[in-house]
Amino acid sequence: MKKNYILHKWLNNEPLTDDEKQQLNDSPEFASYIKIAEATSTFTTPEVNSEANFNAIKQKIAQEQTQNTKGNLFRNFIKIAAVFALVFISYQFLTSRSTTITTQVAQKETIVLPDESEILLNAQSQLTYNKKQWHKTRALTLQGEAYFKVTKGQKFSVKTPLGTVSVLGTHFNVYARENTFNVVCYEGLVRVALTDTVVNLPAGNTLQSQNGKILGLAKTSRTSPEWVSLQESTFENALLRDVIKELERQYKIKIIVTPNTLLNKRFTGSFTHTNLDIALQTVCKPLQLKYTINKDKVTIYEK
Amino acid sequence: MRDIHSVCKESVYNKVYKDYNKAIWRFIYFKCGDTAQADDLVQDAFIKLWQNCKKVPLGKAKSYLYTLANNAFLNQVAHHKVVLKHRESVSDYTDNQSPEYLLEEKQFKQKLEKAIANLTEGQRTAFLLNRIEGKKYKEIAEYLGISVKAVEKRMSQALAALRKEIENI
Repeated sequence: MKKNYILHKWLNNEPLTDDEKQQLNDSPEFASYIKIAEATSTFTTPEVNSEANFNAIKQKIAQEQTQNTKGNLFRNFIKIAAVFALVFISYQFLTSRSTTITTQVAQKETIVLPDESEILLNAQSQLTYNKKQWHKTRALTLQGEAYFKVTKGQKFSVKTPLGTVSVLGTHFNVYARENTFNVVCYEGLVRVALTDTVVNLPAGNTLQSQNGKILGLAKTSRTSPEWVSLQESTFENALLRDVIKELERQYKIKIIVTPNTLLNKRFTGSFTHTNLDIALQTVCKPLQLKYTINKDKVTIYEK
Repeated sequence: MRDIHSVCKESVYNKVYKDYNKAIWRFIYFKCGDTAQADDLVQDAFIKLWQNCKKVPLGKAKSYLYTLANNAFLNQVAHHKVVLKHRESVSDYTDNQSPEYLLEEKQFKQKLEKAIANLTEGQRTAFLLNRIEGKKYKEIAEYLGISVKAVEKRMSQALAALRKEIENI
């Protein structure tokens, strides 16, 4: 152990006393260690290519720097773009999620909007609005027929393919099916914007239009639509074609009219939503027509 | 003030390279025995130093380089035999030796060289750092990330293994 310590001292290039040197030399084991150690010290490694390595390093650094600046710019751009895209998508997702309510044949729906405005959606109609944005913009789209009881507040607008109805707070009915666009105002004032005209409709008035053209204004004494209060559909000088379609919407039936020319007859009156037989009678009798019911198929023909 | 001694400054970096590149190259060479691999690892270590120049103060650069080289070597599995050259000039006090003695001496060195190549990597690196580079145990311990006691142990083991191999043949 003692000798080992001296050996390490010697290897570590620390000065040894004469006595210590003697101790090491006395042992053949340690003497050969020293011989080996001294001989090894005469060895050397191959020459180092300092300059070649240095040039290689400089070259690699230069290469990486150009790559990095390019890569970094691109990567940063991608990062920023990704953040923007995410914000945009989530904004779109959160704000544009609109509520759609669709009614089937013979189905009516009452909808209460976030501002407590009430909408009664008639059969086979579709209403789309945005719940989240409702307090900012009271706007909805309608296809079909609906009765609106709007609570007072900001502008409330109903968009249909045929025109837009805007109000501040009233009760009104909108009928927008195919080419026909009818608006009835029961309370307050309604502004109806057709493709090229704007009409202010006061309470108790009805506006009828077809293909964006005003057909006429009429008075009404009612305070709510017949389909809401009486469970009836009412027509003023309407084409039988439209009456039949309304019948098909209120009852699960298919109506065939022979001959086709009958469809151009005009009908004034109303039919109930609760009894198919009575409804058909009220439509057919004044026009002197007859009908037969076969399950859900109805045929209307001349006497 | 700090900028003057920053490794990021090219002149400082160049000086660091000049001061340490050879020692680190040999350090790796003792480990792997392959000049090409030593070249690669030295280059990699210095490139890393440049990339991290802001984090490495000048005083730490040397040990940082050794640690990098050591770790990089450990990651490379390939080992090669260490080939050492005989230093021609160190024959001062063998002037008046007999030819027999010189021949014996030459054979001894050849055997020794072979034996060194057969040492374990850990023993060889410690032994050659001490013998060829003249490093103190403390420095070796620092470069290899081990304790001084461990260096002592490796040195003893290396000497014992060398003696055994040389005297048995």
